[in-house]
Amino acid sequence: MSNHCRVQVRHFILPKEGSGPEECEDAVAFDAGSLRFAVADGATEAFDARRWAARLAAEWVGAVRAPLTAEEFGPWLKEQGEWLQASWEGRKLSWYAEEKRRAGSFAAFVGLRLEAGGRGMSWRAVALGDSCLVQRRGGQLLNAFPLSEPGEFGTAPPLAPSSNGAREVALAKLVGREGHAEPGDTFLLMTDALSAWYFDASARRDPAAERFDSLLAASDNTALSELVRGERAAARLKDDDVAVLRIEVGSGQ
Amino acid sequence: MGYTAQITRANPTLIVFLLDQSGSMADPFGGEGSGRKADFVANAVNHALHDLVIRCTKTEEVRDYYHVAVVGYGRQVGIGLGGALAGMAVAPVSAVADNPARIESGYRRVPDGVGGYVETPVRYPIWVHAHAEGGTPMCRALGRAHEIIQGWLAQHPRGFPPTVLHLTDGESSDGDPTDAGQALMSLGTDDGRVLLFNCHVSSSRSRKVEYPVDESIIRDNFARTLFRISSVLPENFLGAAQQLGVPAAEGSRGFVFNADPSSVVQFYEIGTSLTGMPPHIWMGE
Repeated sequence: MSNHCRVQVRHFILPKEGSGPEECEDAVAFDAGSLRFAVADGATEAFDARRWAARLAAEWVGAVRAPLTAEEFGPWLKEQGEWLQASWEGRKLSWYAEEKRRAGSFAAFVGLRLEAGGRGMSWRAVALGDSCLVQRRGGQLLNAFPLSEPGEFGTAPPLAPSSNGAREVALAKLVGREGHAEPGDTFLLMTDALSAWYFDASARRDPAAERFDSLLAASDNTALSELVRGERAAARLKDDDVAVLRIEVGSGQ
Repeated sequence: MGYTAQITRANPTLIVFLLDQSGSMADPFGGEGSGRKADFVANAVNHALHDLVIRCTKTEEVRDYYHVAVVGYGRQVGIGLGGALAGMAVAPVSAVADNPARIESGYRRVPDGVGGYVETPVRYPIWVHAHAEGGTPMCRALGRAHEIIQGWLAQHPRGFPPTVLHLTDGESSDGDPTDAGQALMSLGTDDGRVLLFNCHVSSSRSRKVEYPVDESIIRDNFARTLFRISSVLPENFLGAAQQLGVPAAEGSRGFVFNADPSSVVQFYEIGTSLTGMPPHIWMGE
């Protein structure tokens, strides 16, 4: 049986209130064949953040070899940054856009690679910033990374930059983790606002966290949108773009 | 409380730069021995406007989170933004961005990513020119700011209230500014009263007083007058001040006396910080 049957993948994206899908700066990408999954969150104030986030997620998933360590991630990030900068060449810009372009673009990123092996799967993940990975088993939160508490979400997370000047400093903040996944385990890759909400709701044993997971598993995007909007209105969830990838490890070999 | 409203395009805020352009602004800063106060201050205001524009820029679009007014006073009251904005009492920041009086070119050193630096061409927009002529009609200038703000508030009764950043180098030549200042500070939105911050620059080497909490440490009568028409720094401004290493505490007034050049730069940085948060927080509307 192919890898395609070994995982079930669901995703959900909702822009902040009042924004259209074309303004959403969160991106997801996955390849259920190569078992690679990524979520990226473009920094709102950065130049061309939406394209940068989309590029990072898509290229990480599609890379010949998934960049999982700082040694691999650095050259790969440089390549992506050069692509982005080259795409801006030749455009005549106003003084302010020119200044924003000079600073480059920024995005938070988290990527997960699964690998079949014996019973269950091994996993490796890499993260830069405040987009998070969660591993759940039997309704319990088993792993959360790079952040795991709502209080850890600050106003200036490290981000993956497109420019050369900022890259080395950012790469020092890159973190990796690995582990084992049993059949039935689920992974959630989420951008910051949703991650912070999820950690808070889980800690409060708020049934909304479980409901969120069930709706996600059932791909009930209408109910998911209602849930997110309700949590935003109650000020439990920051009004920001949200994106999530849910990966459930199957039992079939 | 108050001063907590999120700045959005639907509910923008207003910043008024009130600038003394009297003849004495042609003198140098006390003890600095270099350059005219008027040139330094015009530069600082242009820099502040530049940063406001950049803070509102999303890729190629400038979002109107702020509106801006510039009122100069000296030989006359009302010399403000130049170029295509001349004659506009208040301009949205997108119009400010697109209409500098001129743009100068220069170079800046930026990191090249491999431990060195590279010279990169940059453009510096200029909106405000230095003027130094005439007296110090502070009451009329505060009155002009009052008119502008009152007109603006009629259209924007909700949201973060206007901030007035007043810079002067001397005593008022048209009377005691207390009433005009207090009248200005009595205006407001549903989120709070108008904020009036005062920065006094000096040609003498006198000791500077920064963001005092009470007036007992102030000996100079004119300084006391300015202290009394200076708003208490709301919490988010206080945060910005502390980030800059400025000695400000709860209850500090937005007031600097005998400011040196670095205090002038900090005054504008603190005065335009507003939410005290990086743009990706408040731009996330």
